[in-house]
Amino acid sequence: MSDLSAQLASSLPENAGVQPEWLKVIRSAGAEQFRARGLPTRKDEAWKYTGLGALDKDGIELASGMTIPYSGKTHPSPLAESQLQLDLLDGQILAQIGEVPAGLTVLSLTEALTSEVKGLQALLESLADKHPKGAAGRGFSALNSATLDSGVYIHVAAGTDAGRLCLIWSTSQVDKALLFNSRVCVILEQGAKLELLEQFESPAENANTSNVIVQAELGEAADLRHIRFQQESESAVLITRTEVSQQLNSEYAYYGFDLGGGLVRHDVHTSIVGSGAKSAINGAYLLDGKRHVDNHVRVDHFATGGISDQYFRGVAGGSGRAVFNTAVCVHPGADGTEARQSNANILLSTRAEIDTKPELEIYADEVIASHGATVGQLDELAVFYMRSRGLTEQAARQLLTTAFCQSVSDRLADPVLGAVIAQRMMDVMPEAD
Amino acid sequence: MSIMLKITDLHARVAGKEILKGLNLELEAGEIHAIMGPNGAGKSTLGNVLSGREGYEVTQGEVIFNGKNLLEMEPEIRACEGVFLAFQYPVEIPGVNNTYFLRTALNAQRKYRGEEPLDSVGFLRLVREKLEVLHIGDELLHRAVNEGFSGGEKKRNEIFQMAVLEPTLAILDETDSGLDIDALKIVAEGVNRLRSKDRGMIVVTHYQRLLDYIVPDKVHVLADGKLVATGGAELALKLEDQGYAWLEDGGIATLKADATAQTANP
Repeated sequence: MSDLSAQLASSLPENAGVQPEWLKVIRSAGAEQFRARGLPTRKDEAWKYTGLGALDKDGIELASGMTIPYSGKTHPSPLAESQLQLDLLDGQILAQIGEVPAGLTVLSLTEALTSEVKGLQALLESLADKHPKGAAGRGFSALNSATLDSGVYIHVAAGTDAGRLCLIWSTSQVDKALLFNSRVCVILEQGAKLELLEQFESPAENANTSNVIVQAELGEAADLRHIRFQQESESAVLITRTEVSQQLNSEYAYYGFDLGGGLVRHDVHTSIVGSGAKSAINGAYLLDGKRHVDNHVRVDHFATGGISDQYFRGVAGGSGRAVFNTAVCVHPGADGTEARQSNANILLSTRAEIDTKPELEIYADEVIASHGATVGQLDELAVFYMRSRGLTEQAARQLLTTAFCQSVSDRLADPVLGAVIAQRMMDVMPEAD
Repeated sequence: MSIMLKITDLHARVAGKEILKGLNLELEAGEIHAIMGPNGAGKSTLGNVLSGREGYEVTQGEVIFNGKNLLEMEPEIRACEGVFLAFQYPVEIPGVNNTYFLRTALNAQRKYRGEEPLDSVGFLRLVREKLEVLHIGDELLHRAVNEGFSGGEKKRNEIFQMAVLEPTLAILDETDSGLDIDALKIVAEGVNRLRSKDRGMIVVTHYQRLLDYIVPDKVHVLADGKLVATGGAELALKLEDQGYAWLEDGGIATLKADATAQTANP
C-alpha cells in the first residue's frame, strides 16, 4: 500500500457512535475494504492508464465535514437557470436557491441518513454489489463509504416532473491539498422526471480532490437527464462514480463535459434491469497542458429490449492524455438488446495521447450491436478551405474542433444550455502545435 | 484599364512533379478570362497556387496582384486582399453552420480592412439581399457547410459565398463540372451578376458549355503547364469543335495565327 493510502487509512473517522446501525455497517465495510486495498494503482486493470501521481506528490489530507470556513469568494454562477439550485462546498450543501416543487424532496444526506427516508438504505447498501468485477480498483468508493455522511438526497414522487435541479460543486482554497467525499442519492418513482445538472468549478486554483458518487434508482418509465459539466482548475483532481439502476421503460441520459481538471476520472455504470429501458451516455473531453481525463463507461443489459447508446468525442493537445474505456455486456436473456458505442478523437499534438478501448460481450439472442473508436487529426483540407475564405489558421482549427465536440452538446437538444456549453468549449479549445 | 493580376513565368510543383512550366497571364480589372485545356494540363494547380494551398510549391516566377506579391501571403491574407477560389470540390465541414461560417469569414475580412464587424441582423440582411439576386433559396443557410449537399448545391454555395464576400479576383475552378444544365444556368447567372468593372474573374473549365452562359473576354488554352494559345470567346468554340488533340504538332501555330487575326480584326 502506498504511503498516501496508509496515511488516508489511518485518518478514517471513528465509527463507534454512528447511527443508524445500517450506516455503521456500510461505513465499517468501506473502511475495512480501504484498509485492505487502499487507493487503486496501475496494477488494477481499470486504472492501467491512470496513475495517481498527481495526488501523491505532496500528500493529501482527508477532510471530513466542512471544517474550513467559507472564504467568501463568489460561488461559480450556474450555466443555466433552474427550478432549484444547491451550492455545495467541500461536498456539503452551503445554500439552496429557488423553490422546491411539489413532489420533489431534497435533503442534505446528513439529515436524510437519520430521517428514515424512503429507499435510501437499500440504495446505499446496493453500491457494493453493483460492479461485476468486484472491489478491485474501487478504493475511492471504499473511501467514500467509509466516510459516508455528507451529500444530497433527492426523491421525486411518482408522476412528478421536477424540472431542473442544479448542483454547483466547489471546494475551498486552503494551503494544503484536501480530499472531500460526497454522495448523491437520486430516487425517481414511477413516471417521475428530473434533470440533474452538476457543475464542478472551484472559484480558485487548488489541488483538492473531490470524490463524488452519484447513485440513481429509476422506477418504471422514470426519466433522468444527468448533465455533468466540469471546468476545474489545472491542479484539481475530480473522481466520480455514477451508478444507475433502470426499471421497465425508464430512460437515463448522461452528458459529460470535461473542460478542466488536472486529473479526472469518471466511472459511469448503468444496469438495465427492466425491459425496454434506454441509456444514452454521451461525453466530450477537451485536454491540453498535462491534463488527464479518464472515462470508464459500462452498460449491463439484464433485461429484454433495452437500448444503450454511447457517444463520446475528445480533443487532446499539448501533453494531454485521455482514456476512454467503454464496455457493454448483454447478459443471458437480454434478447432484443440494441447497443451502440461510438468514440472519436482528434489529436492536436504529437505529445498528446488517447487510449480508447471498446469492449463488447454478448450472451443473448437477436442483439444489434455496433462499436467504433477512432483517433485522427483535423481535416487539413477543411482548414485550408476555411482559410481561403479569410479565417486565420487558428480560428479555422478552433471552429473545426469546437464543431466536433459540439456534436455532443447538440445531443442535449436544449438550444440554450447547448449554446452556453458550446461557447465554453470554444473558449478552452486546445490549440495545435 | 489597369492590370489587376500579372503572372510571370510561373513554375509550380506538386508532390515533386512540375505541373506549371512557365505560365504567363495578365488580367485587367473588369475582365473575365477562361482557361481551358486537357486533363492534367495544370488548370486546377493554377487555382490552388493562386489561393495558397499547401503542397503546391512555386519554384520560379512571380504573381503580382494589385501591386502586391501574392505568393508571399498566407491563404487568409490573400482572401482578405480579395482573392476567392470557388473550389472544384467544395469541402464538407460537419458541424459548422453555413451561415455562421460565412459571417465569421466576412467579419475576418472586414476586420482586415479596418471595418466594423457585421452583427447577425446586419449579416442576415446582406444574406437575404444576395440570395434574392442569385435566385437561391435559404435552405442552404441552416445546414452545416456543404455537408450532405448535392453537387449542384455545393457549387451554388460557392457562388453564394462569392457574392457575400465580394472578392476583387474570383477564380472558378471547374465550377461547371458535375452540374446539370439547370444548375449550370443558375451558377452562370450568379457569376454574370457579379461581373463588374472592379472585379476580375478567371473561369477554369473543361468544356465550352459554361462559356455559352458566361461570355469571357479572353480564352486561354493551357497545355503541359503553359498557356499555348489565347483568343477571344470564339476560341472556345473551336476547341469544342476540334478537341485538344490538334494542339500538338503545329496546331498551336495555326491557332495562334487565328487568334492574332481575330484580335487584329475585332
